[in-house]
Amino acid sequence: MADTTTLLAVFPDLDPAAHALDELRTLGVHDDQMNVIAGIPVTEAMLGRPRQWSNVPRLALGGALAGFAVGLFLAVGTPLMYPIYVGGQPLIPVPPSIVVIFEMTMLVMLIATFVGVFLDSAYPSYKPKEYVPEISDGKVGILFYCPAGDEEKFTQALTKLGAESVQPVEAQPL
Amino acid sequence: MTIQAQPISHTHEGHHPNPREYLMLDPKPRGEMNAMVMDAMHATSWRFWVVAAFLGLVVLVCLFGAWGYMIMEGLGVAGVNRPSYWGIFLVNTVFWIGISHAGTFVSALLRVFKAEFRRPFTRAAELMTTFGLVQAGMSIFMHMGRVWLSYWMFPFPNQRQLWTNFHSPLMWDFLAINTYLLASTMYLFLPLIPDLAMARDRSTGWRKIFYRILALGFRGTEGEWTHLRHALGIFAFAILPVMFSVHTIVSWDFAVAMRPGWNSTIFGPYFVVGALHSGIAAVAMVLIVVRATMKNMKYFIRPEHFNALGKLMLIVSMAWAYFFFNDYMVQWYGGDKWTDALLHFHEAGPLGWMWFGMLICNVAIPWLTLWNKKVRTTPGLLFTIGLLINLGMWFERYIIVPISLTINRMPFTWREYVPGVEIPLGIGTLAFFILLYMIASKLIPLVPVWEVQEGQLAHSLRKFGKETVVTVSDLE
Repeated sequence: MADTTTLLAVFPDLDPAAHALDELRTLGVHDDQMNVIAGIPVTEAMLGRPRQWSNVPRLALGGALAGFAVGLFLAVGTPLMYPIYVGGQPLIPVPPSIVVIFEMTMLVMLIATFVGVFLDSAYPSYKPKEYVPEISDGKVGILFYCPAGDEEKFTQALTKLGAESVQPVEAQPL
Repeated sequence: MTIQAQPISHTHEGHHPNPREYLMLDPKPRGEMNAMVMDAMHATSWRFWVVAAFLGLVVLVCLFGAWGYMIMEGLGVAGVNRPSYWGIFLVNTVFWIGISHAGTFVSALLRVFKAEFRRPFTRAAELMTTFGLVQAGMSIFMHMGRVWLSYWMFPFPNQRQLWTNFHSPLMWDFLAINTYLLASTMYLFLPLIPDLAMARDRSTGWRKIFYRILALGFRGTEGEWTHLRHALGIFAFAILPVMFSVHTIVSWDFAVAMRPGWNSTIFGPYFVVGALHSGIAAVAMVLIVVRATMKNMKYFIRPEHFNALGKLMLIVSMAWAYFFFNDYMVQWYGGDKWTDALLHFHEAGPLGWMWFGMLICNVAIPWLTLWNKKVRTTPGLLFTIGLLINLGMWFERYIIVPISLTINRMPFTWREYVPGVEIPLGIGTLAFFILLYMIASKLIPLVPVWEVQEGQLAHSLRKFGKETVVTVSDLE
């Protein structure tokens, strides 16, 4: 982003942070140019932020369908490939097939959900990032881009709203 | 965002308890809570090392040593023989799977029902699930004998293109237990990530490297929390049917057999409720020990949590009694010659004391004690009741497996089961469970601090007329 500075404003609590986001919008910072970092899962509604997109539910659904297909193959496909009648039961009995299909559906769905978190969050990611350890101690951080040269204006505005610090931040190893 | 309101409970004499007795109404700054949890991990007394060394020795001798001896000498050194081909190995397998249900129940079911009291101990319970399943897996491998052939259970075609038999309850067991183990481990890890990030920020040396790797680069951005919240919501709902299915499928190992005492349609829910019975009692026991031995845990784990767990133990005890009586009544009423012989053997055979002990530990003692709040909130008493419940549930599984196998339709084969190497191996699995838990308590934050803080933010006090009530906001 040309001619911008990355600033990190740290707030002691959620309320001043939510007001600070409104102030930043007033000062011309777009929602895409802000990111909130917090130690608890604050929702978009609390902060007045746009809804975050997540692929995790879709990946879970895809995993469920894939697991269903795997379970179907194991329960129905394998006896057809090598037919052996056991226990006086039909080649493809319904009740045991339900058990196998259910377990495989759940297994692959949950694995897909887990992997989905990794994919969506780009985990693992050990490259340097903008962060301060105080955030895991309950502070709320707002990472934003401001035009170069306006740092003082933004710092004063956010400090007036309760920011404990507003500092230029560079990516560093976590 | 919904809000619930409930009065703070008070006695008939009008005594109003201090709201700060409740964790959710006694918030501390997040930084202070983080420091307390990290301190609990780092503070290790000499007693810890003595106990760990002792357990390590027990694991070495009773678990790995005895198992090695059994592999060298063969399954003949175990007590399994005609007609009781299934013995303590299966009893322990079912027992440990039962213990593992506690974690999912506390973490998932209580999360789904938004029971706020779960917050400080979900991770402690989830650890029980993972480590309990490890012991269950080891027990079934012991029972297998030739453990190096366990790969035969994996669903792939052999050199003759023959697949595993999916009609067999043992194959359902394999799929269900592995599904549950993987799902529980993932469900343990996901909410652990933010706490690992906190530990990363507060550690130095090898711990910082360890937590940095496991924290995966988590910062707490909106995106990260969104993905995590979605995943935890899916896991909480999805792992519940898996939990129910696992012990139901384990029960079908017995119920699908045409044996007196086993072929019962009630076995599925009976086993699930039995698992919850022993599991919740085990959670209470673990929390009492954690609270007593780890620094700062008295802040997070309070009498209110034991009160809630004690109530759950009582309710589940009643449910277990209901299912037990269902099973017993139908068998007794049927009048089948062999079932009658079996029921008589249960009650009046050489191990009849075990049958009565089961009923006393699982029903009488909980019903006579847990209705009393003083008992529920006294850690020593609750621990003892929990221990007796787990003893009673172990008796129940012993009665179902080797004792029931003694009575079949061929009286000339009836022979009492006498365990051999199963005893040290069972002791070894118990020692291994405790040892793994102790090691984990020093490596990962046992309390999910972010969940506790989230709960504390959601709770507040307000006045309704003259009554002070707790209001809980649903922050999601």
